[in-house]
Amino acid sequence: MKQTLQTVTLDNGIILLGEFLPGVESVSVSLHVAAGSLCDSLATRDTGRSCCGLATLAGELMLRGAGDRDSKQLVAALDNAGVQWSQSVSMSHGSFAGAMVSRQLPDSLKIYADILRRPLLDQHQFDPARQVVLQNLAGTEDDPTHRTMLTLRKAHYPSPWGLPSEGTSTDVTELSHTDVKNFVTTFIQPQDMIISVAGRLDWPEFVKQIEVLFSDWQGQPPNQISVGERGEKICHVPYDSQQTHIALAWDVPPYRDPDSLQATAALAVLGGGSSSRLFTEVREKRGLCYSVSAGYQTQRDLAAAMAYSGTTADRAQETLDVMLHEIAALPGTITEDELDRVKARAKSGLVMQQESTAARAGAMARQWFHLGRIRTLAEDLERLDELSVESIENWLAKNPLKEITTVSLGRDPLEVPDAVSP
Amino acid sequence: MQFRHEQLPNGLDIVAEVSEAAHSASLGFFVKTGARDEYDAISGASHFLEHMVFKGTDTLSAEDINLRFDFMGASANAFTSEEDTVYYAAVLPEKQHAALELLSAMMRPALREDDFVTEKQVILEEIKMYDDQPPFGADDRCRALFFQDHPLARSVLGSTSSIEALDVEAMREYHQQRYSSDNLVLAASGAVDFESLIKSAHQLCGEWKPSPPSNRKVQFASTKSGIVTDVITREQAALEYAVRMSPGPAEDTDDRFAAKLLAVVLGDDSGSRLYWDLVDSGQAEHAACHHHDFLDAGVFVTQLSCEPETTHALLDRIVEIYQGAENGLSNNEVDQARNKLLSRVVLAGERPRQRLFSLGLEWAHLGQYRSVPDDLATLDKISREDLHRILAEWHLPASASTVLAGPLLNDSTST
Repeated sequence: MKQTLQTVTLDNGIILLGEFLPGVESVSVSLHVAAGSLCDSLATRDTGRSCCGLATLAGELMLRGAGDRDSKQLVAALDNAGVQWSQSVSMSHGSFAGAMVSRQLPDSLKIYADILRRPLLDQHQFDPARQVVLQNLAGTEDDPTHRTMLTLRKAHYPSPWGLPSEGTSTDVTELSHTDVKNFVTTFIQPQDMIISVAGRLDWPEFVKQIEVLFSDWQGQPPNQISVGERGEKICHVPYDSQQTHIALAWDVPPYRDPDSLQATAALAVLGGGSSSRLFTEVREKRGLCYSVSAGYQTQRDLAAAMAYSGTTADRAQETLDVMLHEIAALPGTITEDELDRVKARAKSGLVMQQESTAARAGAMARQWFHLGRIRTLAEDLERLDELSVESIENWLAKNPLKEITTVSLGRDPLEVPDAVSP
Repeated sequence: MQFRHEQLPNGLDIVAEVSEAAHSASLGFFVKTGARDEYDAISGASHFLEHMVFKGTDTLSAEDINLRFDFMGASANAFTSEEDTVYYAAVLPEKQHAALELLSAMMRPALREDDFVTEKQVILEEIKMYDDQPPFGADDRCRALFFQDHPLARSVLGSTSSIEALDVEAMREYHQQRYSSDNLVLAASGAVDFESLIKSAHQLCGEWKPSPPSNRKVQFASTKSGIVTDVITREQAALEYAVRMSPGPAEDTDDRFAAKLLAVVLGDDSGSRLYWDLVDSGQAEHAACHHHDFLDAGVFVTQLSCEPETTHALLDRIVEIYQGAENGLSNNEVDQARNKLLSRVVLAGERPRQRLFSLGLEWAHLGQYRSVPDDLATLDKISREDLHRILAEWHLPASASTVLAGPLLNDSTST
């Protein structure tokens, strides 16, 4: 499969990534500005008040009018151009994305340039915007799985990585319109912004238009995040629910570390498909739960393996015990068949990603953020082919699992053994 | 894109939308059975059976099935609704035969007693999981109130007591009745080799037996629903969740398309009347309207989540918004909604996995094929007057069933 990957870096630090995908009518663009929720901690330092949720509130307010369009006109312009748009905030980025029929790309880029460079940040829109963020936070209170994973992140990651991107209601209630304006002025900057585009694409025209829209924009966001403390290793949240939710986390190398492939492959053997060890032992053989899985969550400089299951309170202890046993039993026992399945699933995933312009634009941006380059599909497939049981086992042997953060949410706390042994 | 259709002598329909540009092939068996085909003693059997289909055949264990799907790198799963049970796998084109071989074998499951006992625990866990999550059963309760004695009133999951009481013999009988060759559709989309698909299907499904024809349609008298309100109290919930159902066009009328466009105007996740009034203003966490169509009935479903004390006022406000829509929609808002839907159709058309469901369900329900250009042309033809006609005919402000779930108590609902 011949691939056409393009990259250009503008003088002001904006990175453009592009891939032409044959056989599609659509194009997807995603814009990632280095103003994620980690910046909340810098605002906290500058204001002397905890500002958890500021990046999210800023993202919400930025969409409420930009350039010469008010809030309704902005949404109408995107909708009328048939742009399936979204806005989100992760730890590292504030992101705006859109998927559309390709002829609409030039008009939608003008709108995105307005949102990033000329947001109205209308004072009258501030209260409703904050109210939306608070409503969303109240909604997450009612989602036990989400609450469990938030608690796990807070317990496992050092501050500020463990803080919730969506904020906390206590902090968001205290944020002001000035806080948001200062945040946008300080952090919405071109340096290190990634604009990724995939689909039916005229690359030279795209680059030309981006230069017109963005090249006279200068600035660099501050970027000295200080690493704080980690939380408690064992944590229980009392909650009156039928199910007890169990979540575990342990350290693994971040995506840009050459060993991350070994670590993620081991994780896929553990909890990545319906023939994975956790699914087989916890759900299929014992019927302990409906959902059980393990996955990989990476930031640029740190990453975690996270496993989850939800089960009836009186079977929660057995579920936790089986999960811990399977994690501990992994080193020295991975089979060729297991690795073949991991490779087959990963290969399918990579190829099928080429069918979705939105998935492809997002994946390229992530790869650039972590690696500073985009790998071709052929390169990714070759890396998979080269992966061996021996290399995974060597990595596991050199990096024995020392500590697991354990979180439960439900009626009763669980007994967590001191040492992890197979 | 090329549409292909063939029927085996035993009545199994095979439909495919072949796309040379695709990188993958998606295959699925669409079984014309769901909660509406159950009766009290087997409530939840369709969904439980969907789980049991993954537990193996006379020659394959559950582990064998999971291993095979993972070895072929398949993205495989299943779902059960009121009217359908669907099993599907997305694979690279060279795995087409292997995927069909496995999926077709699964359609004739062993339904072993010991697997049934273990899987029953998983189903009970799934029921508990949903019971802990918003909208805390309000959707099931509202459907029961709205559809009353119509088969669509039934819960897909069933209840803890119905699942506990279910025995494997009843499930075997249900499978025997509902998984006959002429009650299934095999659908495929993407990089499909249709000739090879037909050859494989003859070999793998040719021996399946048809069953006597059955009529699943039951006339729905929506006027019987009346205005009914119920409350499920969950003291520790932060928000109140409301589900409101009122009648709409069924799937056997072209008005279903106008109804969907109308729902986007009224209550899409963004840019709609409900959105600007309730969500953008920060009054509600979520407010949306969707249209669902079934074989013999249709429904407009309104969902609201908000602070408990504002629930009744916001539900009243929603009725006012629907009344306001009856006074007239603007050309701009109809065009904006249409542009959104047109774009969704085009983008979904590029993804074989999404096309599979449109293709399979349309054939299973109506025995017809609708291409992406068909859908685009239909959307283009819908006029503002069509939406006004739907509003006048179905009168959204009236005849609704509403269920609340959250901290509110039952006695606070006397509006």
